[in-house]
Formats: sequence, C-alpha cells, structure tokens
Amino acid sequence: MTRASSLSIWRERLFATPFTGFVSMVLVVLIAWVGIPLIRWAVIDATWAGSTRADCAPGGACWVFIRARFGQFMYGLYPVDQRWRVDIAGIAFVLGIASIVLAPQRLRLKLGLAMLVALPPLGIWLLSGGFGLRYIETREWGGLMLTLFISIYSSLIAIPLGIIFALGRQSELRIIRLISVIFIEFWRGVPIIAVIFLASLLLPLILPGGIGIDRLARAVIGLGFVIAAYMAEAVRGGLQALPKGQREAATALGLNYWKATGLIVLPQALRISLPAMTNEFIALIKNTTLVLVVSILDLLGVAQASLADPNWVGMNMEAYAFSGAIYWLICFALSRWSRSLEKKRRL
Amino acid sequence: MTFRILGAAVLLTAGISMAQAQQLAPSPTLDAIKARGNLECGVHLGLPGFSFANDKGEWSGLDVDYCKALAAAVLGDASKVKYTPTSVQQRWPILQSGQVDVLSRNSTITFSRNATLGLNFQGINFYEGQTFIVRKSANAKTAADLDGASVCVAAGSTEEKNAADWFRERNLKTTITNFQKNDDAIAAYDAGRCDAYTAGVGALAGQRAKLKNPEEHVILTQPISNDPQGPVTRWGDERWQLIVRWVLNGTIAAEALGVTSKNVDEMKANSKNSEVRRLLGAEGGFGAMMGLSNDWMYNAIKQVGNYGESYERTVGMGSPLKLERGQNQLWTKGGLLFTPPFQ
Repeated sequence: MTRASSLSIWRERLFATPFTGFVSMVLVVLIAWVGIPLIRWAVIDATWAGSTRADCAPGGACWVFIRARFGQFMYGLYPVDQRWRVDIAGIAFVLGIASIVLAPQRLRLKLGLAMLVALPPLGIWLLSGGFGLRYIETREWGGLMLTLFISIYSSLIAIPLGIIFALGRQSELRIIRLISVIFIEFWRGVPIIAVIFLASLLLPLILPGGIGIDRLARAVIGLGFVIAAYMAEAVRGGLQALPKGQREAATALGLNYWKATGLIVLPQALRISLPAMTNEFIALIKNTTLVLVVSILDLLGVAQASLADPNWVGMNMEAYAFSGAIYWLICFALSRWSRSLEKKRRL
Repeated sequence: MTFRILGAAVLLTAGISMAQAQQLAPSPTLDAIKARGNLECGVHLGLPGFSFANDKGEWSGLDVDYCKALAAAVLGDASKVKYTPTSVQQRWPILQSGQVDVLSRNSTITFSRNATLGLNFQGINFYEGQTFIVRKSANAKTAADLDGASVCVAAGSTEEKNAADWFRERNLKTTITNFQKNDDAIAAYDAGRCDAYTAGVGALAGQRAKLKNPEEHVILTQPISNDPQGPVTRWGDERWQLIVRWVLNGTIAAEALGVTSKNVDEMKANSKNSEVRRLLGAEGGFGAMMGLSNDWMYNAIKQVGNYGESYERTVGMGSPLKLERGQNQLWTKGGLLFTPPFQ
C-alpha cells in the first residue's frame, strides 16, 4: 500500500506531463553518464591500501597518495612530534564554540566575550610556541590547519572592524562617516589578490630591515581588512532593515547611544544580516586559497606542492578531489549551521 | 744592509697583511648567516626533481641540494637551511628585499634580468632547454630526425614559436599540432595523436613520469633552445657572491676530480693531486680566503655529494624521473658542465 503510494508520488513528481517526463529521463541519463564513471574512478576501481605509487591499479583513484601525505594535507610541514599542539588548539576552538552554544542564555554573552579574549592568544601560543613550547615558524605551518587559521583569525579582525565601520557609516558625525566610507570603499575596490601581493611583496621592500612583520600575519591582516569591508556592508544591510522606531524607542527609554546600539539595535541587525555574513565567511574560506600566490602552503598549496614529488607525480585528480571535498565540507557545514541558527531565531 | 733586509721584511709583512685585509672584504650576508645559524634559501614551491617536499616533509631536489651544499660549506651543517618556497611572481622581490640569502629556483639566466633586476647569476647548475619527447620506437636521436613527424604543442606558447621557427629554418616538414592547453597537448601525445611533444628538459622529465608507460618514451638530449639556470644573489657583498659561485664550482670540480661523498675522507688524506687537496682544504687555505673554514668543500661533498651524485639522486637514474645527463654532463664527457680550476 505504502509502496504503491510512494511510487505514485514519484510518478506524479517526475512524469506528470510528457514534457516533465522527458526532462526527467534526460536528467537521469546525464547523472548516470557523469556519476557512474566518477564512482567507478573514486570508489570501485580505486586503490585504498598500500604505500607507494606502484601499489596503485591504473584507471582508478590512488588514495594511497592521500594516505601517505595525509599529515601534510592537515598540518603542512609542521614538525610531526609537535602536531598535538595543533590538535589541542583545534579541540579548544570546538569546545569554546560548543560551550557558548550550550550555555544558558544569560551566561552566553559573558562566556562568548571571555572566549573571544582568551582563545585567540591561546591558539597563537599553542601553534607558534614560546613560554615553554618549542618555537615553530609560520613557514612550517600548512594544510588544512593553515586554511582554518587564516579563516578564523581574518574573521576575528573582520567582524569587529566590519561592525564598527557599518555603525560609522551611519554616524551623524561627518568625519567618522567619511573615514568609514573611505575604508570600506577602498578595501572593497581592491582585488584580494592585489592586497595579498602588496602585503607580501611591497611591504618588505618599503619597511626598513626587510623582514619586520611575519609573512603569514601580513596575509591574515590584509585578508581581514578586505573581508571587514564586505562585512560592514552586510551589517549595514541589517542596520537599514531595522525600523527607525527601535532606536527612537531605546532613546526615549533613556538609553545612551552605546547602550541603545549594543542592547537594541545591533542584536537585531546582526540577526538580520546573518545570512549575508555567512556568505562572506564562506567566501573568505575560499579566498584563503589566494595566499598560494605568495607561496603560503594552505590546503590547496599543499595539494599543489605534493604533486611535485617525483614519487607521486601525476596525482592531480586525487589531490584536487581530496582538497576540494574538504573545502566543500567546511563550507557546507557552515551554511547548514547558519541555516539552523536562522531557523532557531525564526528569521 | 741589515736594515735594508729588515725594512724589506717589514714592507713585505705589511703588504701581506694588506692583501689579506683586501681579501676579507666585509660580508654582511655571511655575518648575518653565521649570527642566525642558518642559511635562508629561496626555492621553487614544487617542481618535480628540482624542489619539493617529500612524504616526510623534507625539502629535496637538485636546486635544494645546492642550498644544502652551501649551508654545509658556510656553517658546516647541510641541515642548517631554512627554505622559503617562492612563486614565480615573488622570486625576485623576495631576494631583493633580503628575505633570502640566495635564490636557487630554476631561474633562467638572461641579460636583461642580470642588467635590470639588481641581481647576479652565479653560475649554472642546470642547462635547461626546449627539447622533445618521443616514443622509443620512433628511433629519433635529435630534433633533426623529426622530419615529417607531428608535434603536439599548446597554441601561442613560446615552445610553439621556437619549434616552428627551428623546423622552418632547417626546411624540415614537421607538422605542429596546436592544442588549447599544455595538458591537452601532452594527453594527445600520450594517446598517440602526435609523434612528439615539446617542453623544457626539466619539465619533460616530470611529465614523462605521468604518461601511461613512461619507459616507452625518450627525451632527446640535444635541446633547440638555451635556458641555463643557476643560483642568484643580490648586487653588492662581493665576498658572499664569491662563496655562492665557488661552492657551485666546487661541487662540479669534485665530480670532475672523482671526489664523492663516499671517498672524500680517503681523498683528503691520501690524494696526491694538489687540486683535490686544495679543494678539500688539505692545502692552500682556500676556505680562509673567503672567510670560511678550510673544510668548506669537504663538508659540502661529505654531506651532500658532488654534482653528479646530486643529479642522479634527484632527477637522474636514481630518481623516478630517470633523466639522462645530456648537457648537464661534464665537458670532458660530452656535456657542458665546466668549472675554472681551483688554483
């Protein structure tokens, strides 16, 4: 009974008219045409076990390569005996987020702020060392860890700056408005790749002594500024969508500018701009791949660099498929998470 | 009389010490390396056989080996190198701005680069040049044997122009088949649509390993273009340039003199050849003339090997690339590698 009805639903959906039936058939053929060879390559004909290229069967994917290089895909050239530090930093980050999400409503803000103050320096200390930990230069960082590091620390710069400049753009003081507009329009107008080039190539030529600020830090700050400009526009959308009466009512209640902004306007505006901000995050994660032009070995950089090992030459498909899958997973998870936030808050 | 001899002796001593002072011109780069305890070397982000990180995350390759030899000569330890991978856009600025001490990154030596970039090329560690890969069954020995054959190339590339010009000048009826991208061209060659594919020697070695049956293909050793590559330094600091140049020369001389990482101890102790003895610091005090230890080349050869050992291990028969020596063979054996004498 149920079986027949589910069948009839499918029939209704896919073959309602001759035309939809035809479209359905074409799509099924297309999916099979692309999907079957892909699955054959990636799963059925693929080689999973072994240790060298010679173990791989021709025609299928050679996942042995990913296994042999898995450590590098995750951590880059980070010293093997120190990788636990990266793991701990990652766990601390996840626990930090989880504790904020699970905490009771009244503690959430305080906890969030505490984490915001405590976690970023802790992360930098764990990754780079000092105070009892071996010092590890940023040039040895790489892989997924570096991609996440750049994404997280750039957004730590971008979110506060974005909010400040979004508010600044709405300010009644002309000079503040002007500064905000200049910042936003400048950084929105410059291609990210140019910013990274400037930060990595021109700064050392201009600054005396040549080296000065760390190469990775320059890229993170540059990316952070660009994303801040985009964030500011996303937040401005939220601010403008908010009825003017909200701020007026808050002022009528006797709240000053900062209280009215912090307690009434921003929470609502940020909620409205959450989808747009998520978009910027996803764009940021993908934009981190641009640091490849200055030879910072992020996930994609490691994939590309590993193709140069003569022992694994020609593993292009595997390297790009694997790193692409990771990027997709991160971006997809982020978009689902933001979706669930939106639902919870009934947006 | 006695006074005169004394006077001459004083003058002579003064002359010698002046000469020594002149030889040891200040070298800020060398001082910085010694203070920091490691050599900063700019390398390629990833070029099969020349510069790459292996499964264990160690940098290796022919260009990387040069960095190691230099570190061994300067600091006595080949592992004291810090590598900065550089992209093609970054390589000059990173050297110019002093972020690396030397660039060993398959960069072609050209007049305009030398004249306008404020950089000096210190010798040749790889004779790169455009050549052809063909099937063994085609029995071609040089590009001239490709009369009547077809060559796959990427449309609009320098390789296309070079190859077309070369065949036209020699009145050879070779068909050039154009493809949109390099990858398409090599795939077409692998599928048998052309008799040859063209690119630089180093690039072909990497590409051959990707073909379905690498052992069925040969890379013609006589290139049709001339793109020599070697280590690069900034202008200024002549003593550092001297060191960079003579470490490269030393690895080549070691091969010519038969000094290898295996026999270096024995050669240093027992060799009667005075050039070997000077190279390895047994006599002559050559290292000290540059402000290095007299063991400089001994350390480099002991820890890294001579040029030939490096070559075979990274791109040659001991590597998956199986590239023949070709032009990168000693001049006494039909190649172009040559070094001025250690005298």
